[in-house]
This record gives sequence, structure tokens and C-alpha cells, in this order.
Amino acid sequence: MQDLTLDVFPGEVFGFLGPNGAGKSTTIRMMLGAIRPTSGRVQIFGDDAADVRRAHRHLAYVPADVALWPRLTGAEILELLARTGPGVDVAYRTELVGRFGLDLDRRAGTYSTGNRQKVALVAAFATRAPLLVLDEPTSGLDPLMEQVFRAAVVEARDRGQAVFLSSHLLGEVQAVCDRVAILREGRLAEVAQMAELRRLRRTEVVVSYVESPPDLAGVAGVQGAEDLGSGRLRFFLSGAPGPALRALGGFGVTGVEMREPSLEEIFLDYYGRGV
Amino acid sequence: MATATGATTREPGARVGSTSRAGRRARTGLAVRQIRRGALIVLVVTAGMPAVVAGQYRTTFAGVLDGPALHALATNPAIRTLFGPPSALDDAGGFTVWRTGTPLAVLVGVWAVVTTTRLLRGDEESGRWALLLAGPLRLSDLVARIIYVLAGAVVIVGAAVGAALIVAGTSPSGAVFFGAGLALVGVGFVALAALTAQLWDSRAAATSASAGILVATLLVRMVGDGVQGLSWLQWVTPFGLLAAVRPYAGDEVLPLLGLMVAPVVLGVAALVVAARRDVDHGLFGSRGRHGPRRWLLGSVVGFVVRRGVRSWVAWAAGVFAYFLLLGLLAGSVTAFLADNERFADLASAAGFDELGSVPGYAATMFALLGLPAGVFTAARIAEVVEDERTRRSVLLMATPVSRGHILRAHAGVALLGAVGLLAVAGLAMWTGARAVGAGLGVADAVGGAVATSPIVLLCLGTAVLATGWSPQVVLSVGSLPAVGGFLWQVIAQSTGAPGWVVEVSPFAHLAAVPAEGPDWASAAVMGSIAVVSCAIGTVGYVRRDLAH
Repeated sequence: MQDLTLDVFPGEVFGFLGPNGAGKSTTIRMMLGAIRPTSGRVQIFGDDAADVRRAHRHLAYVPADVALWPRLTGAEILELLARTGPGVDVAYRTELVGRFGLDLDRRAGTYSTGNRQKVALVAAFATRAPLLVLDEPTSGLDPLMEQVFRAAVVEARDRGQAVFLSSHLLGEVQAVCDRVAILREGRLAEVAQMAELRRLRRTEVVVSYVESPPDLAGVAGVQGAEDLGSGRLRFFLSGAPGPALRALGGFGVTGVEMREPSLEEIFLDYYGRGV
Repeated sequence: MATATGATTREPGARVGSTSRAGRRARTGLAVRQIRRGALIVLVVTAGMPAVVAGQYRTTFAGVLDGPALHALATNPAIRTLFGPPSALDDAGGFTVWRTGTPLAVLVGVWAVVTTTRLLRGDEESGRWALLLAGPLRLSDLVARIIYVLAGAVVIVGAAVGAALIVAGTSPSGAVFFGAGLALVGVGFVALAALTAQLWDSRAAATSASAGILVATLLVRMVGDGVQGLSWLQWVTPFGLLAAVRPYAGDEVLPLLGLMVAPVVLGVAALVVAARRDVDHGLFGSRGRHGPRRWLLGSVVGFVVRRGVRSWVAWAAGVFAYFLLLGLLAGSVTAFLADNERFADLASAAGFDELGSVPGYAATMFALLGLPAGVFTAARIAEVVEDERTRRSVLLMATPVSRGHILRAHAGVALLGAVGLLAVAGLAMWTGARAVGAGLGVADAVGGAVATSPIVLLCLGTAVLATGWSPQVVLSVGSLPAVGGFLWQVIAQSTGAPGWVVEVSPFAHLAAVPAEGPDWASAAVMGSIAVVSCAIGTVGYVRRDLAH
């Protein structure tokens, strides 16, 4: 990790992106004081991250892969974390347990990956800590629970909590984040507003044709058309697809493949691979 | 447990001829690699001890024991209880087997239990089997392979013991019978632990069940040897059967056959259960639902206490039973040694001075306490690193609780628990001695037990030190002052090593309380070493990067 400076503000959902090995988890572990920076310092609301008794009063954390004490039930683990943690809204916690459909009377050893993640999510969202650090928190959740999670993130933001969300899921980031940072090879590549990213979003389209390549010059929303050879043409589409599809209809097109680029690709595409 | 019926849900994977064989070979190789280091240590100790003792017998004891002395020894219930019934003490091999047979069988048994449950339940519990079982390998095949590897390791240990005794110059047939008996005891405990690993769904529960049975059979053996009319009990315990083989005296075949019953029955039972159960499940276990039990969840210290209570109760029960028995024997051992000077001399030469008086006897027996109390302490500290390795403590570490506080909580609770074990042992010895009218005051008994606490402190210090600087080896480094120190002292004394060699062991610096006053100076030195180790270890733990 080098030269990383990030500011996250109250009432903001901050997305944290990057390819595997970019240093996302390392950053989070430094924020938690589990590892130390070789130089420089990490501060959480002005407290040194290594001084966890102070720094951890300001935060709650959900790891990517939640491990729990197998003999304790979900309720017992929530109790332990509430009593040692930075304070909990018990009524809201009960509500969250209901929304996530979590069975608290089972021992953690019998929980699936998703259920273990729910325990950690309920414990984190129920705190009134000003910062929630979530490291790929929904990898084990089904789509319905993903919706419950997004609602909880929005509620936390509306309460004025800052949410630091490391995620690979484009939809999730687009749905809840206000700003996004991307990390490459241990360096911060860029920080951008979500609205700005939406403008950058382009769909990659590859069409197969039989005779001559479709001529898409001047068609609205089409950029960067390129003949890939062996009867395939690629272009990027932004905005509504209607004009491009109508234009393609006039040619002998035998197939259309459309691919949504990942947020990282959009980012890197826009800011250049050489960052 | 899946409720669907039929073979389809029971065992994952279809079998494909050659691939399956290759998979099994690979699994065998993996199991061999997982146990070879521990097996080598057990082999060196089990083969080395009898060789040393047999060699020493020739130089020291040979010719000292005559007929009446042997008769007195063989018929004394206390001696029979502690060391098993002696036979062929006039022979180097017979003496060696009597002196080392039970400790070696316990060592091999404990290693077999701990290693078997680690491979057969620990690996499954931690999810490491998921990939293996995705291949063309059935659960029961995997279990069988690992049982064969472990049984093979134990047989090699038995063969090494036999070979060492032959090399030491004892009769080959006696050596073969003892080696075979020891190997069969070990295979029996492999089979027992394999079965408990199928029955329970957690490694801790499977290990506790097997270890509990091991301790219970040891106590039954002691009672059976000590109480007239109950001698038939030796036929139902592996330790009794091993003694009944009477190597160098009778070389009995029937007890050896008896020792084969347990491995076959338990091993088959383990495979039957393995073929019928689901992966990640046991027949019993922690599957039930229950409402929250919130006791002691309010603080880190409370939580550490709560997690340790079960194991403490198990340790305390074992320690209580053993020292109660020792207390009950106090009168008859001391009377025996008072009546038989020759044995008093021999006991003294073997490092057991002062056995002739009740306080001296109590002090000698209390020195053994360093072993369970020290290992208990190291095991409690090792939990800090185990929590880190399994990532269980990640959520707790994210709360405003410092690492130093977590380590201190474990250290304090471990120390309290260990001193509690010492007190339990003192009270047990007092209770037993009082029941038989041997003069031992409660303060003397508890004081004598607590006088071994420097060993506990050293174990605590080294365990904390390892937690900070070498977290992979907390349990072994933490147990070193107790287990290593004890073995060092026994071997050094048995071989007549010079004084400074003996004094490397912390056990050499324990005063024989209550026969004599406590050695405050030595205790202060050992306590200071422990405090410094704890401080350095805590600094290392607070400063180092966490594993996850």
C-alpha cells in the first residue's frame, strides 16, 4: 500500500473497489488495527487505529468471511458483541433479526455462510457507531436478503452513519453508494461521485454478420466501432439502445452479444490503464 | 442430518476405479505427512525410556532384590495400585516394563487419541475435507485410510520399543510381547478416538470423550490392582491387560488376544457409523436449539471464564479422582517403605526421596501435579491463537477491546484455573488420607499442592511468550516446562547425570512441601522468569500483525 488518503463523511455510503490483490482487505485490516502500516498512520475520527480501545468506539465491522464461536447461539453472540461493543439499539436489533429472518436459537456451528454473515450484519447495523466498515458483506446472501441489506445501509446513512463498503457487486454499489474509490496495485486510482460514474457507463456489444459489416456511423449512442475480423464487429453503446438496434436490423446480423462492464472496468477504461 | 432416504444422500461421490485408488493413495500420503513429526517424537521417547531404564537397572539394581523383598513388593496393594502388579523384577526387562509400562501406555494412548481426533474430526470440522470428498472418495474410505495410517504409526512405535529392549540386552520374547502389547493398546485408542470422532460433531467433544475413557480405564486399572477381589477388573482395561501379558515373566498370549478385541470392535463400529452418517455431522452433538444463556457474556473476562468452565471441570474431576486415590494409599505406601528399607533405598535412588513419611509421600506425589496444571495452562493460552487462526475472534477484536486485554484475560483466568486445580488436588489428597487415618493436615495438603505453582507460572510465561512471537507452537512451547521438565528430570536422574544437568529441569527446584518448607528463593526466581516472559510475550502480541 502506498500513499493512501481517504476521507469518508458522515451520512455517506462510500464504495471501495479494486481487483483481487489490489489491497482492499489490507486497507481495512489497517483501519481495524489488525496490521500496522510500515510508515504513516491510520486515524479513525482522530484516534490512532492501533489504539483499538479508542478507535473501535467509532466503528462496527463485518468481515467478508464470518467465523463465529460454534458452540454459542446467534443470540449469545449478539449479546457478547453488544456488551463489549460501542453500544447497541436493542429495539432496532430485534427488528433487523426479523427482517433478515435469522434464527437466533441455533448454535453458530450449524449456521450456513449466509446466516453467519447475517449475524455479523445485524450486530453491525444495530450499533450506533458513526462508521460501519463492511468488507464484501453480501457474498453469502440471497437476492431477497441483498434487498434487506441495501435497505439497512440506506437507513444507516439516513441516521448519519458513514458506511465504508468494499464490494465487487456493480448493482449493489450503484444502488447504495454515493461516492466510489478504486484501488489498483496498492494505490488509490481515483475517487468519484456515483452520478459521474453512471454517465460513464457503456455497454459492450459484439454483433456477428454474414456479408458486409454493419455501418453504424452517425447512429446515436454508438462509439468505438471496430471490426474484430471473422464476421464480428464490436462497439460501445451508451444511452438508449433503440437507434443502434434499428440500424442493425438493416444488415444481415446473425447474433448480438451484450456485456455489462464491471465498475472497475468502467473506471479503468475512463481513467486509463496506466494509472 | 438429511432426512432423505436411500444411498444417494449418504455418501458423496461415485467411485471410479483407478482414480479412486490414486485418491486413496494421495490421502494416505497426506495423513502420513500430518502425523510424522508427532509420531517421531513419541517413538523416540517410548523407545528411549525403556532402553535407558533397562541399562540403568543393570548398573544399579541387579542383584539387590531378593525373594522376600519381591514378595513384599508384589503383595503390597499400594505399590500394585501405583505401578501395577510387579512381576520378574529380578530381570532387567521385567523391571523396566513394571517401571515404564503404564506411563508409556498412557503416552501412546494420549497421542493416539489427540492425533486421531485431529485428523478424523478436526479436519472435517474446519472444512478441509470438503475438497477431498468432492473427488471420488467416500467418507468411510477416507476414515478407514486414516485409521490404517494411525494404527500403522502406533505399530511402528511398538516395534521400536521392542527393538530398543532387545538392543538393551533383555530377552527377545519378552521384548516382543511388551512391544506388541503396547502397540495393541495404542491401536485400541486409535479405534476408540476414531469412533468418538464419528459420534460427535466437534473435535473437542470427541477428544474429551476419548480422553475421559482413557483416564477412567486407568483409574479402574488402579482400583483393580489395589483392591483384593476386584482383580478381575484388569481384564476390562487396556492397561490391566497390558500388565497381564507379564512380559519377561509369563509372556501370556491370552491378554494379547484380549487387547485385540477393542481395536476390532471399535474400529468396525467407527467405519459403520462413518458409512451411515452425513458429512459434517455426528450421531450426537450440538445440533439442538435452545434459548439464549447469557451468563458471563457481559465482559471479555467473563466470556473467557465461560469458555473454560467445561474443560476445567473435566480436568478437575480427573485430578480429584487421581489424588483421592493417592491419598487413600498414603498410609499403606509409607508403612510398606518403613518396613522394607531396601525399597526405600531404591525409591530414593529413583528420585523418590522421603516416601517413607506421609508428608514426604504427599510432596513426592504433588510434584506430578505440575504436569496436568501446566498443560492445562498452556492449553488455555493456546486458545487465543486458535481463535485468531480460525478467525473466530475477528468480530470481538473489532469491538473496543484491546489485544492486551484479551491476552491478560486468558492469562489471568488460566492461572486462576490452574491454581484451582492444585487446590482440588490438595483437597483430594487430604480427603483420601483422612479416610484411611494417615496424618496429613488440610493446610499441609493444599500447601504442598500449591507449592508446585512455579511450574504453572513457567508454563504460563512460555505460552504467552510464544503467543507473541511464535504463535504456531503455543501449546508445545507452553507445555515444555511441565512435560519437558518432568521427562528431563526423570531421564537425568535415571542415568545418574551430573547435578547441573538435573537442575536444568524446573522440577529440581521445587521444595518437597509439606515434608519441608517452601523454597521461596527458587519460587521467586521462577516467578520472575514467568513475569518477564509474559511481559515480552504481551508486547509481541500487541505489536505483531494478526493472522487474519
